[in-house]
Amino acid sequence: MKEARFRCHVARSLLLLLLIALLCCPLQVRASTFRDSLGRKVVLSAAPERIVSLAPSITEMIYFLGLDDRLVGVTRFSYFPEQAKEKARVGTYTDINLEKVVTLDPDLVIATADGNRKEDVEMLEEAGIPVYVVNPRRVGQILETIEAVGDICGIAHRARERVGSLRERVARVEEAVQGRSKPLVFLVINVKPLMSVNHSTTHHDIIELAGGRNLAQDQLVTYPRLSLEEVIRRRPEVIIISSMEKGGEHERARREWFRWTTIPAVQKERVHVISSDLIDRAAPRIVEGLEEMAKLIHPEIPWD
Amino acid sequence: MGLRGARDQIVTPLRVLSIGIILSIVLAAVAFISLSMGPAKVSMGTILGWCAGMGSVDQTTSMILANIRLPRILLAGLVGFTLSLGGVVFQALLRNPLAEPFILGISSGAAIGAIAGIVLGLGFSVGVPLLSFISALATILLVLGISSRHGGLESSTLLLTGVIVNAFFTAVIMFFIATASDSRLHSMLFWLYGDLSQSKYIQFSLCLPLVLIVSGVIYLFSRHLNLIVGGEEPALQMGVEVELVKWVAFIGISLITGVVVAFSGIIGFVGLIVPHLMRMMLGPDHRLLIPASALGGAVFLVAADTVARMIISPSELPVGVITAFLGAPFFIYLLKRKGSQWNQD
Repeated sequence: MKEARFRCHVARSLLLLLLIALLCCPLQVRASTFRDSLGRKVVLSAAPERIVSLAPSITEMIYFLGLDDRLVGVTRFSYFPEQAKEKARVGTYTDINLEKVVTLDPDLVIATADGNRKEDVEMLEEAGIPVYVVNPRRVGQILETIEAVGDICGIAHRARERVGSLRERVARVEEAVQGRSKPLVFLVINVKPLMSVNHSTTHHDIIELAGGRNLAQDQLVTYPRLSLEEVIRRRPEVIIISSMEKGGEHERARREWFRWTTIPAVQKERVHVISSDLIDRAAPRIVEGLEEMAKLIHPEIPWD
Repeated sequence: MGLRGARDQIVTPLRVLSIGIILSIVLAAVAFISLSMGPAKVSMGTILGWCAGMGSVDQTTSMILANIRLPRILLAGLVGFTLSLGGVVFQALLRNPLAEPFILGISSGAAIGAIAGIVLGLGFSVGVPLLSFISALATILLVLGISSRHGGLESSTLLLTGVIVNAFFTAVIMFFIATASDSRLHSMLFWLYGDLSQSKYIQFSLCLPLVLIVSGVIYLFSRHLNLIVGGEEPALQMGVEVELVKWVAFIGISLITGVVVAFSGIIGFVGLIVPHLMRMMLGPDHRLLIPASALGGAVFLVAADTVARMIISPSELPVGVITAFLGAPFFIYLLKRKGSQWNQD
């Protein structure tokens, strides 16, 4: 008798354990681990519902993916799209107000490796907030990053679809410029002092994809300061000034170039201004920047 | 005035003239060497031919020489001339070996104007220089106004006021920099370190007449400056209109410093090193010291700017980095070897 009762007890306990194990199972399955661009492990117990973006480019990605209703905080200068201005601000991307981030109670923070400070990321981690760090450099990597963000937010399918159309646009540009001569392009990212970009930048990748050669690609510094003399000596065929705002200052900067009449770009009146937002930000609009750039570098192609 | 060394004691017009000519030749030589240096290789022979208007020079080279290197050398020379002149005069008037043209707040005053211009998105050809010049002058008038409360300009009050105003404005500048958007930051920092990379003839020709007039007037006062260095009371007793000299010199120097700083940004150390260097070499008589310092300043800055252009070519450094980097160790070496002759007066 006693033994039978004991056996029954054991069976009941085992059953209970099994039940508990079964109950726990779905929870364990739902908690998923991601690896960010720095190889850090990011563990999420569920698809994030309250996201804080620590850079304007990330904000643009989130809007592009249609996740704006989950976005609870953005940084200053997140002014695209227009609606992003209404989100709560957590400082500038180099100077994050951590207290503000924590008060927003996010279940995911997305940061960039080159803009945000490492210390800020570490502090947030210590506060128990998962931080996913992105670090796209080339145009292709930007598109992959958008997909990765979609992945981590549980909308992998939608992300692949939307990024797919961006990829098609990139491919169209690549196809159009293929086999054509590659003009020497001087990209001005700062007028005074005169600064350009070397081979390690997204800008360089855009120039290459758009069928041009980057005049400053051989420089050691990422954003080299070049002497005017050197630029004149290298005889760029196209000069493109990246500008923060329309007209005014940059129109003047554009006209300034016309003094240097021995530069081929000046002789052929190929000094242009491009909106810096389109090429400075590792965001979906980079494709638009690429298309703009290709039009400026290869005006002879009948773009539609 | 207990001067040591017979060589130092006699300042004859002939000596002033001969040293002036020697320094002018050095200046011409340095300018010529500077003209031949740059990322684009141009031989000395080509430049000689180009200077003489002979020989065939291709269009790119002549454009580089005429429109990039030459205006830059001219402006560098004029800026060095002005800053060094300002240094020697301020050191005498304030009877302080640490005085330099920026000590009364001209630099920070000009910087506020320039940075405000950059923040407002004004251009570097007119807007930024104009604002920086106006705010430099306003600052100097403010400092002089505060210090002249009791009728006269007292040197220690003036110095203290300058230091305080500088400190206050530096805080304002730091605020601007901390809140600046990335794109403006580079422009601000380069202006603050001094930068001659976008020199134009028009800047040189705007500054030149003003600098010549002011330095001429100052030179007329050089004997008075000798007496003021010995003490204001004795100078007064010897019939020097100390207050008049002070006001004219302060306003004059501030005016020309404000003008050149507006175009060049803040280039430190020139106004400190060159006058002391000249004092060590030529003695403390301002009749010789003023022209020697001014010409020496031109030589120094043309040379420093050449180094700034060449050292990480085809990239460039702000010239202010070079003046401090080369100037400070050299100055310490001289000071250690010869000692400052300041206390011998």
